[in-house]
Amino acid sequence: MPPKEQLLKELSDAVVGMDEDRTVATSQAVLENGIDAYEGISQGLADGMDRAGQLFEQEEYFIPELLMCSDAMYAGLDVLRPHLKTVADGEKRRFVIGVIEGDTHDIGKNLVKIMLETAGFEVIDLGRDVPAQEFVDRAKSVGADFIGISTLMTTTMDGIREVFSLLEREQIRDQFRIMVGGGPISQGFADRIGADGYAVNAAEAVRVARKLLGSD
Amino acid sequence: MSTVNGLTARERLVGILRHRQIDRPPVICPGGMMNAAIVDVMNRTGHNLPEAHSDAVLMAELAGDVYQQTGFENLGIPFCLTVEAEVLGSTINIGDLACEPKIASEAFSSTAQVAFKDPDELLSAGRIHTVAAAAAILADRYPDVPVIGNVTGPISTTASIVDPMRFLKELAKDKANAHRAISYVTDFLCQYAQLLLDHGVTLITIGDPTATGEILGPRFFEEYAVRYLNRLIDTVHAAGGLIIVHICGNINSVKNFIPEIRSDAISTDAMVNLRSLKEEYPQLTTMGNLSTYLLQFGFPDKIATQAHRLVQDGIDIISPACGLSTSTPLENIRAMTEAVKECASDFAGGSASDTGNSMEWEVVR
Repeated sequence: MPPKEQLLKELSDAVVGMDEDRTVATSQAVLENGIDAYEGISQGLADGMDRAGQLFEQEEYFIPELLMCSDAMYAGLDVLRPHLKTVADGEKRRFVIGVIEGDTHDIGKNLVKIMLETAGFEVIDLGRDVPAQEFVDRAKSVGADFIGISTLMTTTMDGIREVFSLLEREQIRDQFRIMVGGGPISQGFADRIGADGYAVNAAEAVRVARKLLGSD
Repeated sequence: MSTVNGLTARERLVGILRHRQIDRPPVICPGGMMNAAIVDVMNRTGHNLPEAHSDAVLMAELAGDVYQQTGFENLGIPFCLTVEAEVLGSTINIGDLACEPKIASEAFSSTAQVAFKDPDELLSAGRIHTVAAAAAILADRYPDVPVIGNVTGPISTTASIVDPMRFLKELAKDKANAHRAISYVTDFLCQYAQLLLDHGVTLITIGDPTATGEILGPRFFEEYAVRYLNRLIDTVHAAGGLIIVHICGNINSVKNFIPEIRSDAISTDAMVNLRSLKEEYPQLTTMGNLSTYLLQFGFPDKIATQAHRLVQDGIDIISPACGLSTSTPLENIRAMTEAVKECASDFAGGSASDTGNSMEWEVVR
Protein backbone atom coordinates (compact mmCIF):
# COMPACT_ATOMS: atom_id res chain seq x y z
CA MET A 1 0.00 0.00 0.00
CA PRO A 2 1.52 3.39 -0.94
CA PRO A 3 2.40 5.57 2.06
CA LYS A 4 -0.31 8.14 1.30
CA GLU A 5 -3.22 5.71 1.31
CA GLN A 6 -1.66 3.92 4.23
CA LEU A 7 -1.36 7.11 6.28
CA LEU A 8 -4.90 8.18 5.49
CA LYS A 9 -6.14 4.73 6.49
CA GLU A 10 -4.16 4.95 9.71
CA LEU A 11 -5.67 8.35 10.41
CA SER A 12 -9.17 6.99 9.85
CA ASP A 13 -8.36 3.99 12.06
CA ALA A 14 -7.06 6.25 14.84
CA VAL A 15 -10.39 8.12 14.87
CA VAL A 16 -12.46 4.92 14.87
CA GLY A 17 -10.13 3.55 17.55
CA MET A 18 -10.95 6.57 19.78
CA ASP A 19 -7.23 7.28 20.04
CA GLU A 20 -6.70 11.02 20.34
CA ASP A 21 -2.89 10.87 20.67
CA ARG A 22 -2.51 8.61 17.67
CA THR A 23 -4.84 10.83 15.63
CA VAL A 24 -2.70 13.88 16.41
CA ALA A 25 0.56 12.04 15.65
CA THR A 26 -0.82 10.63 12.38
CA SER A 27 -2.16 14.04 11.37
CA GLN A 28 1.34 15.43 11.85
CA ALA A 29 2.76 12.56 9.80
CA VAL A 30 0.26 13.37 7.05
CA LEU A 31 1.63 16.92 6.87
CA GLU A 32 5.27 15.79 7.10
CA ASN A 33 4.71 13.50 4.13
CA GLY A 34 3.45 16.38 2.05
CA ILE A 35 -0.12 15.12 1.87
CA ASP A 36 -2.71 17.80 1.32
CA ALA A 37 -4.44 18.77 4.59
CA TYR A 38 -7.82 18.66 2.86
CA GLU A 39 -7.28 15.02 1.90
CA GLY A 40 -6.18 14.29 5.44
CA ILE A 41 -9.44 15.71 6.72
CA SER A 42 -11.81 14.27 4.16
CA GLN A 43 -10.23 10.84 3.58
CA GLY A 44 -8.73 10.39 7.04
CA LEU A 45 -10.60 12.15 9.84
CA ALA A 46 -14.04 12.39 8.23
CA ASP A 47 -13.77 8.83 6.94
CA GLY A 48 -13.03 7.67 10.48
CA MET A 49 -16.05 9.58 11.81
CA ASP A 50 -18.18 8.08 9.04
CA ARG A 51 -17.15 4.59 10.09
CA ALA A 52 -17.78 5.49 13.75
CA GLY A 53 -21.27 6.64 12.72
CA GLN A 54 -21.86 3.30 11.00
CA LEU A 55 -20.75 1.40 14.11
CA PHE A 56 -23.13 3.60 16.12
CA GLU A 57 -26.01 2.70 13.84
CA GLN A 58 -25.09 -0.99 14.09
CA GLU A 59 -25.13 -0.68 17.91
CA GLU A 60 -21.44 -1.61 18.12
CA TYR A 61 -20.69 1.88 19.40
CA PHE A 62 -22.84 3.92 21.77
CA ILE A 63 -22.71 7.56 22.79
CA PRO A 64 -19.53 7.41 24.94
CA GLU A 65 -17.61 5.74 22.09
CA LEU A 66 -18.95 8.16 19.47
CA LEU A 67 -17.96 11.12 21.66
CA MET A 68 -14.44 9.78 22.06
CA CYS A 69 -14.12 9.33 18.30
CA SER A 70 -15.23 12.92 17.85
CA ASP A 71 -12.64 14.13 20.38
CA ALA A 72 -9.96 12.36 18.35
CA MET A 73 -11.35 13.82 15.13
CA TYR A 74 -11.38 17.39 16.49
CA ALA A 75 -7.81 16.97 17.83
CA GLY A 76 -6.72 15.93 14.34
CA LEU A 77 -8.63 18.85 12.83
CA ASP A 78 -6.69 21.25 15.06
CA VAL A 79 -3.48 19.93 13.48
CA LEU A 80 -4.64 19.86 9.87
CA ARG A 81 -6.96 22.87 9.58
CA PRO A 82 -4.23 25.58 9.76
CA HIS A 83 -2.67 23.95 6.68
CA LEU A 84 -5.74 24.09 4.49
CA LYS A 85 -4.81 26.05 1.38
CA THR A 86 -7.97 28.02 0.85
CA VAL A 87 -10.98 27.62 3.01
CA ALA A 88 -14.03 27.58 0.84
CA ASP A 89 -16.21 28.90 3.63
CA GLY A 90 -18.51 30.64 1.21
CA GLU A 91 -19.46 27.22 -0.11
CA LYS A 92 -20.40 25.84 3.26
CA ARG A 93 -24.02 25.31 4.06
CA ARG A 94 -25.09 26.94 7.28
CA PHE A 95 -27.00 24.90 9.78
CA VAL A 96 -28.58 26.60 12.81
CA ILE A 97 -29.21 24.00 15.48
CA GLY A 98 -30.55 23.92 19.02
CA VAL A 99 -32.70 22.24 21.66
CA ILE A 100 -36.12 23.89 21.99
CA GLU A 101 -37.10 25.88 25.08
CA GLY A 102 -38.09 23.82 28.08
CA ASP A 103 -35.53 21.11 27.48
CA THR A 104 -31.91 20.98 28.53
CA HIS A 105 -31.09 17.54 27.13
CA ASP A 106 -28.55 18.26 24.44
CA ILE A 107 -26.53 15.10 23.96
CA GLY A 108 -28.38 14.15 20.79
CA LYS A 109 -28.16 17.67 19.40
CA ASN A 110 -24.41 17.72 20.09
CA LEU A 111 -23.96 14.45 18.22
CA VAL A 112 -25.84 15.84 15.22
CA LYS A 113 -23.61 18.92 15.33
CA ILE A 114 -20.46 16.77 15.33
CA MET A 115 -21.62 14.66 12.41
CA LEU A 116 -22.73 17.71 10.41
CA GLU A 117 -19.41 19.50 10.99
CA THR A 118 -17.57 16.37 9.95
CA ALA A 119 -19.63 16.32 6.78
CA GLY A 120 -18.63 19.90 5.97
CA PHE A 121 -21.57 21.93 7.22
CA GLU A 122 -21.01 25.15 9.15
CA VAL A 123 -22.99 24.64 12.33
CA ILE A 124 -24.26 27.54 14.41
CA ASP A 125 -25.09 26.01 17.76
CA LEU A 126 -27.73 27.88 19.77
CA GLY A 127 -27.35 25.48 22.70
CA ARG A 128 -30.17 24.16 24.82
CA ASP A 129 -33.43 25.59 26.20
CA VAL A 130 -33.68 27.91 23.16
CA PRO A 131 -36.89 30.00 22.65
CA ALA A 132 -38.65 29.55 19.29
CA GLN A 133 -38.07 33.21 18.41
CA GLU A 134 -34.32 32.79 18.78
CA PHE A 135 -34.25 30.02 16.16
CA VAL A 136 -35.96 32.41 13.76
CA ASP A 137 -33.80 35.43 14.61
CA ARG A 138 -30.50 33.59 14.35
CA ALA A 139 -31.46 31.72 11.19
CA LYS A 140 -32.25 35.10 9.58
CA SER A 141 -29.14 36.87 10.84
CA VAL A 142 -26.66 34.21 9.74
CA GLY A 143 -28.47 33.43 6.49
CA ALA A 144 -28.97 29.81 7.44
CA ASP A 145 -29.75 27.13 4.88
CA PHE A 146 -31.01 24.75 7.54
CA ILE A 147 -32.70 24.93 10.91
CA GLY A 148 -32.41 21.87 13.14
CA ILE A 149 -34.63 21.61 16.20
CA SER A 150 -34.50 18.84 18.73
CA THR A 151 -36.18 17.84 21.95
CA LEU A 152 -36.13 14.83 24.23
CA MET A 153 -39.33 15.72 26.02
CA THR A 154 -42.92 15.43 24.90
CA THR A 155 -43.59 18.53 27.01
CA THR A 156 -41.73 20.78 24.59
CA MET A 157 -43.00 19.53 21.25
CA ASP A 158 -45.37 22.49 20.98
CA GLY A 159 -42.37 24.82 20.99
CA ILE A 160 -41.20 23.16 17.78
CA ARG A 161 -44.53 23.95 16.13
CA GLU A 162 -44.09 27.55 17.24
CA VAL A 163 -40.88 27.92 15.20
CA PHE A 164 -42.91 26.98 12.12
CA SER A 165 -45.72 29.44 12.93
CA LEU A 166 -43.25 32.27 13.54
CA LEU A 167 -41.56 31.63 10.20
CA GLU A 168 -44.90 31.45 8.45
CA ARG A 169 -46.06 34.66 10.09
CA GLU A 170 -42.99 36.40 8.69
CA GLN A 171 -43.55 34.60 5.38
CA ILE A 172 -39.99 33.27 5.36
CA ARG A 173 -40.70 29.58 5.92
CA ASP A 174 -39.52 28.75 2.39
CA GLN A 175 -36.08 30.22 2.99
CA PHE A 176 -35.06 27.39 5.27
CA ARG A 177 -35.02 23.63 5.24
CA ILE A 178 -36.14 22.52 8.67
CA MET A 179 -35.11 19.24 10.25
CA VAL A 180 -36.45 17.90 13.54
CA GLY A 181 -35.39 15.07 15.79
CA GLY A 182 -35.15 13.73 19.30
CA GLY A 183 -36.66 11.00 21.47
CA PRO A 184 -40.41 11.70 21.20
CA ILE A 185 -40.25 12.98 17.60
CA SER A 186 -41.31 10.63 14.82
CA GLN A 187 -41.52 10.86 11.05
CA GLY A 188 -45.27 11.20 11.53
CA PHE A 189 -44.88 14.22 13.82
CA ALA A 190 -42.35 15.76 11.41
CA ASP A 191 -44.79 15.35 8.54
CA ARG A 192 -47.71 16.77 10.52
CA ILE A 193 -45.88 19.96 11.45
CA GLY A 194 -44.52 20.35 7.93
CA ALA A 195 -40.81 19.71 8.58
CA ASP A 196 -38.61 19.06 5.57
CA GLY A 197 -36.72 16.27 7.24
CA TYR A 198 -36.61 13.95 10.22
CA ALA A 199 -33.67 11.86 11.33
CA VAL A 200 -33.70 9.08 13.87
CA ASN A 201 -30.03 9.61 14.79
CA ALA A 202 -26.97 11.76 14.10
CA ALA A 203 -25.60 9.71 11.22
CA GLU A 204 -29.00 9.72 9.56
CA ALA A 205 -29.23 13.51 10.02
CA VAL A 206 -26.27 14.02 7.67
CA ARG A 207 -27.84 11.82 5.00
CA VAL A 208 -31.16 13.63 5.31
CA ALA A 209 -29.48 17.05 5.07
CA ARG A 210 -27.54 15.99 1.98
CA LYS A 211 -30.68 14.58 0.41
CA LEU A 212 -32.52 17.84 1.03
CA LEU A 213 -29.69 19.72 -0.68
CA GLY A 214 -29.89 17.36 -3.64
CA SER A 215 -33.58 18.07 -4.04
CA ASP A 216 -32.99 21.76 -4.79
CA MET B 1 -63.60 5.08 49.35
CA SER B 2 -60.19 3.81 48.37
CA THR B 3 -61.21 0.23 49.11
CA VAL B 4 -62.21 -1.64 45.99
CA ASN B 5 -63.04 -5.33 46.11
CA GLY B 6 -61.74 -5.43 49.64
CA LEU B 7 -58.24 -4.27 48.78
CA THR B 8 -57.00 -0.76 49.44
CA ALA B 9 -54.87 0.91 46.78
CA ARG B 10 -51.91 0.51 49.08
CA GLU B 11 -52.54 -3.20 49.65
CA ARG B 12 -52.91 -3.79 45.94
CA LEU B 13 -49.63 -2.10 44.93
CA VAL B 14 -47.63 -3.50 47.84
CA GLY B 15 -49.28 -6.88 47.18
CA ILE B 16 -48.14 -7.10 43.58
CA LEU B 17 -44.62 -5.99 44.54
CA ARG B 18 -44.56 -8.70 47.22
CA HIS B 19 -45.73 -11.33 44.68
CA ARG B 20 -49.15 -11.78 46.30
CA GLN B 21 -52.33 -12.69 44.46
CA ILE B 22 -54.36 -9.59 43.73
CA ASP B 23 -57.64 -8.87 41.98
CA ARG B 24 -56.28 -6.73 39.13
CA PRO B 25 -53.21 -4.64 38.32
CA PRO B 26 -52.97 -1.27 40.03
CA VAL B 27 -52.86 1.79 37.76
CA ILE B 28 -50.31 4.30 38.98
CA CYS B 29 -48.20 7.26 37.94
CA PRO B 30 -45.23 7.28 40.31
CA GLY B 31 -44.31 10.97 40.28
CA GLY B 32 -40.86 12.50 39.83
CA MET B 33 -39.93 12.25 36.18
CA MET B 34 -43.25 10.46 35.58
CA ASN B 35 -45.67 12.77 37.35
CA ALA B 36 -49.25 13.66 36.48
CA ALA B 37 -49.27 17.26 37.76
CA ILE B 38 -50.89 18.40 34.53
CA VAL B 39 -52.16 21.91 33.85
CA ASP B 40 -55.77 20.61 33.76
CA VAL B 41 -55.48 19.50 37.41
CA MET B 42 -53.79 22.68 38.63
CA ASN B 43 -56.32 24.90 36.89
CA ARG B 44 -59.10 23.25 38.88
CA THR B 45 -57.49 23.56 42.30
CA GLY B 46 -55.09 26.49 42.26
CA HIS B 47 -52.36 24.40 43.90
CA ASN B 48 -49.80 25.35 41.33
CA LEU B 49 -46.35 24.69 40.06
CA PRO B 50 -43.70 26.01 40.23
CA GLU B 51 -44.61 27.03 43.82
CA ALA B 52 -45.38 23.43 44.84
CA HIS B 53 -41.81 22.38 44.01
CA SER B 54 -40.53 24.28 47.06
CA ASP B 55 -43.39 24.21 49.58
CA ALA B 56 -44.14 20.99 51.47
CA VAL B 57 -47.82 21.77 52.15
CA LEU B 58 -48.48 22.79 48.55
CA MET B 59 -46.55 19.78 47.28
CA ALA B 60 -48.74 17.48 49.37
CA GLU B 61 -51.92 19.32 48.28
CA LEU B 62 -50.98 19.02 44.61
CA ALA B 63 -50.10 15.33 44.98
CA GLY B 64 -53.51 14.84 46.63
CA ASP B 65 -55.24 16.73 43.80
CA VAL B 66 -53.51 14.56 41.20
CA TYR B 67 -54.61 11.42 43.07
CA GLN B 68 -58.21 12.53 43.44
CA GLN B 69 -58.70 13.86 39.93
CA THR B 70 -56.77 11.46 37.73
CA GLY B 71 -57.77 8.18 39.32
CA PHE B 72 -54.16 7.03 39.62
CA GLU B 73 -53.93 4.78 42.67
CA ASN B 74 -50.99 6.41 44.35
CA LEU B 75 -49.59 9.68 45.62
CA GLY B 76 -46.30 10.71 44.06
CA ILE B 77 -43.73 13.33 44.98
CA PRO B 78 -41.79 15.38 44.01
CA PHE B 79 -42.73 16.64 40.52
CA CYS B 80 -39.25 16.93 39.07
CA LEU B 81 -35.81 15.34 38.70
CA THR B 82 -33.79 18.22 40.10
CA VAL B 83 -34.02 17.99 43.91
CA GLU B 84 -30.87 15.88 44.13
CA ALA B 85 -28.72 17.82 41.63
CA GLU B 86 -29.63 21.09 43.32
CA VAL B 87 -28.27 20.10 46.72
CA LEU B 88 -25.19 18.62 45.03
CA GLY B 89 -24.44 22.09 43.65
CA SER B 90 -26.03 22.53 40.22
CA THR B 91 -28.08 25.59 39.33
CA ILE B 92 -31.76 24.93 38.74
CA ASN B 93 -34.30 26.78 36.64
CA ILE B 94 -37.48 26.07 38.61
CA GLY B 95 -39.71 26.29 35.52
CA ASP B 96 -43.33 27.45 35.52
CA LEU B 97 -46.87 26.08 35.59
CA ALA B 98 -46.46 24.07 32.39
CA CYS B 99 -42.72 23.56 32.23
CA GLU B 100 -40.89 21.39 34.70
CA PRO B 101 -37.67 22.39 36.49
CA LYS B 102 -34.45 21.77 34.64
CA ILE B 103 -30.72 22.01 35.15
CA ALA B 104 -29.55 25.52 34.18
CA SER B 105 -25.88 24.72 34.67
CA GLU B 106 -24.02 21.72 36.01
CA ALA B 107 -21.86 22.24 39.08
CA PHE B 108 -18.70 20.60 37.74
CA SER B 109 -16.98 20.39 34.37
CA SER B 110 -15.54 16.92 34.96
CA THR B 111 -15.95 13.99 37.33
CA ALA B 112 -12.44 14.66 38.71
CA GLN B 113 -13.65 18.04 39.96
CA VAL B 114 -16.64 16.75 41.91
CA ALA B 115 -16.13 18.08 45.42
CA PHE B 116 -17.57 15.85 48.12
CA LYS B 117 -19.88 17.49 50.62
CA ASP B 118 -20.75 16.28 54.06
CA PRO B 119 -23.76 13.90 53.83
CA ASP B 120 -25.59 15.52 56.77
CA GLU B 121 -25.18 18.92 55.17
CA LEU B 122 -26.60 17.58 51.90
CA LEU B 123 -29.61 16.06 53.64
CA SER B 124 -30.50 19.34 55.31
CA ALA B 125 -30.09 21.46 52.16
CA GLY B 126 -32.32 22.58 49.31
CA ARG B 127 -35.69 20.89 48.89
CA ILE B 128 -34.77 17.56 50.52
CA HIS B 129 -36.84 18.29 53.60
CA THR B 130 -39.64 19.81 51.53
CA VAL B 131 -40.13 16.43 49.87
CA ALA B 132 -39.73 14.54 53.16
CA ALA B 133 -42.26 16.78 54.91
CA ALA B 134 -44.73 16.42 52.05
CA ALA B 135 -44.33 12.64 52.32
CA ALA B 136 -45.16 12.78 56.02
CA ILE B 137 -48.29 14.88 55.38
CA LEU B 138 -49.50 12.50 52.67
CA ALA B 139 -48.75 9.33 54.64
CA ASP B 140 -50.78 10.75 57.51
CA ARG B 141 -53.66 12.01 55.37
CA TYR B 142 -54.02 8.99 53.08
CA PRO B 143 -53.19 5.84 55.07
CA ASP B 144 -54.78 3.56 52.45
CA VAL B 145 -53.00 5.01 49.44
CA PRO B 146 -49.37 4.23 48.59
CA VAL B 147 -47.09 7.26 48.80
CA ILE B 148 -44.26 7.01 46.30
CA GLY B 149 -41.01 8.86 46.91
CA ASN B 150 -39.23 9.47 43.63
CA VAL B 151 -35.47 9.55 43.54
CA THR B 152 -33.38 10.40 40.49
CA GLY B 153 -31.04 7.56 39.59
CA PRO B 154 -27.26 7.58 40.11
CA ILE B 155 -26.23 8.03 36.47
CA SER B 156 -28.75 10.80 35.74
CA THR B 157 -27.94 12.63 38.96
CA THR B 158 -24.21 12.52 38.23
CA ALA B 159 -24.89 13.66 34.64
CA SER B 160 -26.84 16.57 36.17
CA ILE B 161 -23.91 17.77 38.28
CA VAL B 162 -21.11 17.11 35.75
CA ASP B 163 -21.20 18.41 32.17
CA PRO B 164 -23.04 15.47 30.55
CA MET B 165 -20.90 15.21 27.40
CA ARG B 166 -17.73 15.13 29.47
CA PHE B 167 -19.33 12.73 31.92
CA LEU B 168 -20.27 10.23 29.20
CA LYS B 169 -16.74 10.27 27.79
CA GLU B 170 -15.22 9.84 31.21
CA LEU B 171 -17.22 6.64 31.73
CA ALA B 172 -14.67 5.22 29.28
CA LYS B 173 -11.72 7.59 29.58
CA ASP B 174 -11.45 8.27 33.29
CA LYS B 175 -13.09 5.34 34.97
CA ALA B 176 -11.50 5.98 38.35
CA ASN B 177 -13.02 9.44 38.68
CA ALA B 178 -16.29 8.39 37.05
CA HIS B 179 -16.72 5.64 39.64
CA ARG B 180 -15.64 7.98 42.43
CA ALA B 181 -18.24 10.60 41.47
CA ILE B 182 -21.09 8.15 40.86
CA SER B 183 -20.31 6.32 44.08
CA TYR B 184 -20.47 9.57 46.05
CA VAL B 185 -23.76 10.49 44.37
CA THR B 186 -25.19 7.01 44.98
CA ASP B 187 -24.33 7.12 48.69
CA PHE B 188 -26.18 10.42 48.95
CA LEU B 189 -29.18 8.99 47.05
CA CYS B 190 -29.22 6.00 49.45
CA GLN B 191 -29.47 8.36 52.40
CA TYR B 192 -32.12 10.46 50.70
CA ALA B 193 -34.20 7.35 49.95
CA GLN B 194 -33.78 6.25 53.55
CA LEU B 195 -34.95 9.69 54.74
CA LEU B 196 -38.06 9.46 52.56
CA LEU B 197 -38.84 5.97 53.91
CA ASP B 198 -38.41 7.34 57.44
CA HIS B 199 -40.98 10.02 56.58
CA GLY B 200 -43.58 7.47 55.59
CA VAL B 201 -43.30 6.81 51.86
CA THR B 202 -44.60 3.35 50.97
CA LEU B 203 -41.99 2.77 48.30
CA ILE B 204 -39.28 4.39 46.21
CA THR B 205 -39.29 4.76 42.43
CA ILE B 206 -36.06 5.45 40.57
CA GLY B 207 -36.12 7.30 37.25
CA ASP B 208 -32.73 7.28 35.59
CA PRO B 209 -33.23 8.69 32.09
CA THR B 210 -29.50 8.92 31.31
CA ALA B 211 -28.93 5.27 32.26
CA THR B 212 -30.41 3.81 29.10
CA GLY B 213 -29.18 1.14 26.75
CA GLU B 214 -29.43 3.59 23.89
CA ILE B 215 -27.11 6.11 25.53
CA LEU B 216 -24.68 3.88 27.41
CA GLY B 217 -24.64 0.64 25.45
CA PRO B 218 -24.35 -2.74 27.18
CA ARG B 219 -20.77 -2.33 28.42
CA PHE B 220 -21.30 0.84 30.40
CA PHE B 221 -24.86 -0.05 31.36
CA GLU B 222 -23.50 -3.09 33.17
CA GLU B 223 -20.42 -1.39 34.59
CA TYR B 224 -22.20 1.70 35.90
CA ALA B 225 -26.00 1.62 35.74
CA VAL B 226 -26.64 -1.92 37.03
CA ARG B 227 -23.95 -1.66 39.70
CA TYR B 228 -25.06 1.64 41.25
CA LEU B 229 -28.79 1.04 40.81
CA ASN B 230 -28.32 -2.19 42.74
CA ARG B 231 -26.46 -0.41 45.53
CA LEU B 232 -29.43 1.92 45.90
CA ILE B 233 -31.91 -0.96 45.62
CA ASP B 234 -30.08 -3.03 48.25
CA THR B 235 -30.09 -0.07 50.64
CA VAL B 236 -33.85 0.36 50.25
CA HIS B 237 -34.40 -3.38 50.70
CA ALA B 238 -32.17 -3.43 53.79
CA ALA B 239 -34.42 -0.75 55.25
CA GLY B 240 -37.44 -2.99 54.56
CA GLY B 241 -38.65 -0.77 51.71
CA LEU B 242 -39.88 -1.55 48.20
CA ILE B 243 -38.43 -0.07 45.04
CA ILE B 244 -39.37 0.24 41.36
CA VAL B 245 -36.86 1.16 38.62
CA HIS B 246 -37.91 2.86 35.40
CA ILE B 247 -35.66 2.39 32.37
CA CYS B 248 -36.12 4.91 29.57
CA GLY B 249 -35.88 4.21 25.87
CA ASN B 250 -35.29 1.03 23.93
CA ILE B 251 -33.78 -1.70 26.10
CA ASN B 252 -32.80 -4.09 23.29
CA SER B 253 -29.05 -3.69 23.67
CA VAL B 254 -29.17 -4.20 27.46
CA LYS B 255 -32.10 -6.60 27.81
CA ASN B 256 -30.02 -9.42 29.32
CA PHE B 257 -28.98 -7.13 32.18
CA ILE B 258 -32.56 -6.24 33.16
CA PRO B 259 -33.05 -9.34 35.36
CA GLU B 260 -29.83 -8.41 37.17
CA ILE B 261 -31.49 -5.24 38.47
CA ARG B 262 -32.80 -6.33 41.84
CA SER B 263 -35.76 -3.93 42.09
CA ASP B 264 -39.27 -5.15 42.96
CA ALA B 265 -40.57 -4.07 39.55
CA ILE B 266 -39.16 -2.82 36.24
CA SER B 267 -40.96 -0.08 34.35
CA THR B 268 -40.21 0.55 30.68
CA ASP B 269 -40.83 2.99 27.87
CA ALA B 270 -43.54 2.66 25.22
CA MET B 271 -41.45 0.96 22.52
CA VAL B 272 -40.69 -2.03 24.76
CA ASN B 273 -42.99 -5.02 24.36
CA LEU B 274 -43.59 -5.81 28.02
CA ARG B 275 -45.50 -8.96 27.22
CA SER B 276 -42.50 -10.50 25.45
CA LEU B 277 -40.15 -9.21 28.15
CA LYS B 278 -42.30 -11.05 30.69
CA GLU B 279 -42.36 -14.17 28.55
CA GLU B 280 -38.58 -14.10 28.34
CA TYR B 281 -38.03 -13.32 32.03
CA PRO B 282 -41.11 -14.61 33.92
CA GLN B 283 -39.54 -13.65 37.25
CA LEU B 284 -39.86 -9.93 36.44
CA THR B 285 -42.66 -7.80 37.85
CA THR B 286 -43.39 -5.47 34.95
CA MET B 287 -44.77 -1.96 34.93
CA GLY B 288 -45.83 0.23 32.05
CA ASN B 289 -46.24 1.38 29.43
CA LEU B 290 -49.08 3.34 27.94
CA SER B 291 -47.72 5.75 25.33
CA THR B 292 -47.50 9.29 26.69
CA TYR B 293 -47.91 10.51 23.13
CA LEU B 294 -51.23 8.69 22.94
CA LEU B 295 -52.20 10.11 26.32
CA GLN B 296 -51.49 13.63 25.11
CA PHE B 297 -52.91 13.50 21.60
CA GLY B 298 -55.10 10.40 21.47
CA PHE B 299 -58.83 9.91 22.01
CA PRO B 300 -60.20 8.46 25.26
CA ASP B 301 -61.63 5.31 23.62
CA LYS B 302 -58.29 4.46 22.02
CA ILE B 303 -56.54 5.06 25.33
CA ALA B 304 -58.98 2.78 27.14
CA THR B 305 -58.39 0.07 24.53
CA GLN B 306 -54.64 0.31 25.03
CA ALA B 307 -55.01 0.18 28.81
CA HIS B 308 -57.18 -2.93 28.46
CA ARG B 309 -54.58 -4.49 26.21
CA LEU B 310 -51.87 -3.97 28.83
CA VAL B 311 -54.04 -5.67 31.45
CA GLN B 312 -54.79 -8.47 29.01
CA ASP B 313 -51.08 -8.90 28.32
CA GLY B 314 -50.56 -9.63 32.00
CA ILE B 315 -48.59 -6.47 32.79
CA ASP B 316 -48.40 -6.32 36.58
CA ILE B 317 -48.70 -2.56 37.13
CA ILE B 318 -50.24 -0.25 34.55
CA SER B 319 -48.69 3.19 34.21
CA PRO B 320 -47.73 5.80 31.61
CA ALA B 321 -44.64 4.80 29.62
CA CYS B 322 -42.60 7.85 30.49
CA GLY B 323 -42.93 11.50 31.56
CA LEU B 324 -46.35 12.97 30.82
CA SER B 325 -46.74 16.25 28.99
CA THR B 326 -48.26 18.87 31.29
CA SER B 327 -50.78 19.59 28.54
CA THR B 328 -52.17 16.03 28.62
CA PRO B 329 -55.98 16.27 28.95
CA LEU B 330 -57.38 15.07 32.27
CA GLU B 331 -60.14 13.25 30.36
CA ASN B 332 -57.50 11.08 28.66
CA ILE B 333 -55.85 10.12 31.93
CA ARG B 334 -59.23 9.24 33.42
CA ALA B 335 -59.94 7.04 30.40
CA MET B 336 -56.77 5.13 31.23
CA THR B 337 -57.35 4.73 34.97
CA GLU B 338 -61.03 3.86 34.62
CA ALA B 339 -60.29 1.25 31.95
CA VAL B 340 -57.90 -0.57 34.28
CA LYS B 341 -60.28 -0.38 37.23
CA GLU B 342 -63.08 -1.87 35.12
CA CYS B 343 -61.08 -5.06 34.61
CA ALA B 344 -62.71 -7.98 36.39
CA SER B 345 -61.25 -9.85 39.29
CA ASP B 346 -60.43 -12.93 37.25
CA PHE B 347 -57.15 -11.29 36.35
CA ALA B 348 -54.66 -13.88 37.58
CA GLY B 349 -51.92 -11.40 38.32
CA GLY B 350 -48.98 -11.64 40.64
CA SER B 351 -45.80 -12.54 38.85
CA ALA B 352 -44.95 -15.48 41.11
CA SER B 353 -48.35 -17.05 40.63
CA ASP B 354 -48.82 -16.35 36.95
CA THR B 355 -50.46 -19.44 35.54
CA GLY B 356 -50.29 -18.30 31.97
CA ASN B 357 -54.09 -18.19 31.90
CA SER B 358 -54.32 -14.55 32.87
CA MET B 359 -55.47 -13.61 29.40
CA GLU B 360 -59.13 -13.96 30.33
CA TRP B 361 -60.79 -10.85 31.61
CA GLU B 362 -64.13 -9.19 31.44
CA VAL B 363 -65.27 -5.65 31.56
CA VAL B 364 -67.58 -4.91 34.48
CA ARG B 365 -70.05 -2.20 33.63
